[in-house]
Amino acid sequence: MSENKQTSSAPDDTPPSKSVDQSEAPESGSAEASNSGKPRRNFVVEFLAVAIGGLVGLVPTAIGGLFLLDPLLRKGTHPAGGEAEGEEGNPVVKENGFLRLTLGIDGLPADGTPVRYTVHDDIVNVWNKFPNQPVGAVWLRRIQDQVLAFSTVCPHLGCDVEHRSGEGDFYCPCHTSAFNLDGAPLNKIPPRAMDALEAEVRDGRIWLKYEQFRGATSEKVLV
Amino acid sequence: MIRSLLMWLDNRTGCNDLLHEALYERVPGGARWRYVWGSTLVFTFVLQMITGIFLWMAYSPSTQTAWESVYYIQEVMFLGKIVRGMHHFAAQAMIILLAIHLIQVIIDGAYKAPRELNFWLGLVLLKIILGLSLTGYLLPWDQKGYYATQVSTKIMGATPVIGAQLQEVVQGGAQYNHHTLTRFFAMHAGILPGLLIGFLALHLYVFRRHGLTVHDPKYKPDTTFWPDQVLKDSVACLGILAVVLLFAIFKGAELSPPADAAKAYAAARPEWYFLFLFRFLKFETVEHLGLAFGAIYVPGALMGVLFMMPLTAKLKAGHRFNVAFTWLVTFGIVVLTTMAFYEDGNNKDHQAAIAEAERDGHRIKELASRPSMIPVEGAVSLLRQDPFTQGPVLFAKQCASCHRYNGHNGRGLVLREKGDNGEQVVMQPVATDLGNFGSRDWMTAIVTSYGNHFAPLKNALWYQNLGEDDLNLDESEMSDASEGYAEAFKDSENADDLKALVEALVALRNWRGDKDSINAELVARGKQILDGEPLANGAEIASCTDCHDTLGSDFELTSEGSGYPDLAEYGSAKWLKAFIRDPGSAQFYGVKNHMPAYAEKMTEEELDLLVRWMTGDYFETHVEDYTSRFAEVYGAGRQPTVEQPAAE
Repeated sequence: MSENKQTSSAPDDTPPSKSVDQSEAPESGSAEASNSGKPRRNFVVEFLAVAIGGLVGLVPTAIGGLFLLDPLLRKGTHPAGGEAEGEEGNPVVKENGFLRLTLGIDGLPADGTPVRYTVHDDIVNVWNKFPNQPVGAVWLRRIQDQVLAFSTVCPHLGCDVEHRSGEGDFYCPCHTSAFNLDGAPLNKIPPRAMDALEAEVRDGRIWLKYEQFRGATSEKVLV
Repeated sequence: MIRSLLMWLDNRTGCNDLLHEALYERVPGGARWRYVWGSTLVFTFVLQMITGIFLWMAYSPSTQTAWESVYYIQEVMFLGKIVRGMHHFAAQAMIILLAIHLIQVIIDGAYKAPRELNFWLGLVLLKIILGLSLTGYLLPWDQKGYYATQVSTKIMGATPVIGAQLQEVVQGGAQYNHHTLTRFFAMHAGILPGLLIGFLALHLYVFRRHGLTVHDPKYKPDTTFWPDQVLKDSVACLGILAVVLLFAIFKGAELSPPADAAKAYAAARPEWYFLFLFRFLKFETVEHLGLAFGAIYVPGALMGVLFMMPLTAKLKAGHRFNVAFTWLVTFGIVVLTTMAFYEDGNNKDHQAAIAEAERDGHRIKELASRPSMIPVEGAVSLLRQDPFTQGPVLFAKQCASCHRYNGHNGRGLVLREKGDNGEQVVMQPVATDLGNFGSRDWMTAIVTSYGNHFAPLKNALWYQNLGEDDLNLDESEMSDASEGYAEAFKDSENADDLKALVEALVALRNWRGDKDSINAELVARGKQILDGEPLANGAEIASCTDCHDTLGSDFELTSEGSGYPDLAEYGSAKWLKAFIRDPGSAQFYGVKNHMPAYAEKMTEEELDLLVRWMTGDYFETHVEDYTSRFAEVYGAGRQPTVEQPAAE
């Protein structure tokens, strides 16, 4: 047989500190088992046990938690958030948030008739980049050498605003919101005017800052 | 207030008793460091659960996204390197702790009656943890995990009777595919941890029922689990956490290049704790007996003996046998593991394969961090289209049987052959070393030591029986000219003129991305020399243009030549491509040529990748190119000579 004595489980569940003290006194009979020293030592041990035990659980959880907060903690630090630089075969060109449209100002009717244009941009999906994807549409109007741009998303509840050439207005078929060609509301249904987008003309090319806004608010709030 | 709330809870759940039961386990003989191992195992498991769940939130199991998501965790996300590193190294710590725990249980006789069942439960836990290691290894979908796991699933396929079907079910198909990852992931993050929790609960329950196996009951006064043993356990766990964190911070988990079934991975090895089995399988006799014998029957038999231990212990000297067996197997594992490490450390081919994997691993991170990010086809396509990665592979395949690249075969491997006495000797190249093609060194060598520069040609079979038309390095016009140049440039007064001449020749490759590094002043002077102006000390030398009348003109493919190699845009990708396609055309070496034409041997894409690598036309890299490991070989260890790699 091995020298190891195997003890079976504790026979009773008497309160521990006492039982230890009691069992200890007759067996060991050591001098340090005085009542005054014991509780104090126990307190230090207990404190350390809780502190260290807590620490080993807390550290990995905290690290993991910060890892989870990655979208907040790492905002805009990844190169993906930057500008598209006109890579080979990719027509998307972006500068300071403005996209260069493939359409020139000469492509718009001189009389200011709205033209629907599908905006393409690079879509970043975590580690992937999908070049030149359709991201939305705008109504473009030429006013002399300037370009007016309206989002096709209705400021009411986000349906797609149409241009009615017969009526000469913008019209949303979902809830009959209507706007004049400058985007001002023609009835009480939409909470605000059509969302105008920043557009510039440089050397005959149209540059557009494509943004989306929250629906159903009287203020224009960026999404 | 809190007190009454706790009482309310206790009244309804009896949680106080449970807590009491958990904390006031008796520890006869006092708290001891030797009792901490079981607790550290529980702790590492909890650590794996915590880090694992966070990794889960960022991991994407499919063949096009697994490596990519792990790359993103590791290289981009906040603290991602630490979280993955902790998971990676805690897994390895768990294996070590498991071994310690098991050996201790056997030596202390804690597996004997009445604890047989708990011992078996422990063995089940061991199997589950090994299963977690195995499934986790594949998930990053990198070359290392991919090829190591291939071995495991092939072993599975060697199972008698149902092997093939078993393998296919586990893989979710005949080959590795999306479903291999989803299956492995479900096992790794769902089924196996679930089983582990269940069996761990049973293990702890039965452990509590029989109590601690006390090593020496008279060691110290009896105590209870709380707080004395808890403190010791916590300190041990803190130690383990510290080690794991240090490894995670300073070493970091490896991420080799993305898995590519088309690219063999010569550096494939299992995780270090399975190396002993890997080495065991490599013994010739074991190999001879078949995969099932070495990988299934022998480990199965060992596990069988382990499993029978509680019963064996009832026999006379049974416990002694068990202890001896444990030490013997441990010793065997240590010896085999050491052998494996030692042999790999001395295996140049293996080292070269590791160097290549590391090179590709660093490179893919550079490519993936470009603003164009990772294409939807996955990161592996980035490597496949990268000249810096594919050029060396193509060179090794197509060029290295004659040429060398800085002394090696392009991939860092020095080619060897059997010598006269059967020993391994370095294979002599039969054509020029191309490691510095088109560089200033290259031009200088051609101008001043032509015969020496092309000396490897003398090893070629055709050179042994030189025909009339063949190039004779000792008598050719160019050799004579080069000797003349060498003589003329010996004068230190002419040193700057040599530089100028070389600069003018380098400028021929006017397309290279390092255009800016060309010194225009030197080029102007070099052109004067080319036009026949005397050198600084007044000496007159033969001009290159006396023979190579295309120097300085635009490179065009023609079907005829002057009898001298066309040097228009010499050193450019355009020139090199045309040359490799048909070096024997009249425009190049004509009848003197001995190099095969590659127009039919390589696709346009392959040729493009090779030439772009050789001329330094690829996305800028900070990864060091291969240097040869054999200092005694010609050109070995020479640094890559593309002075300024071109931006893509």
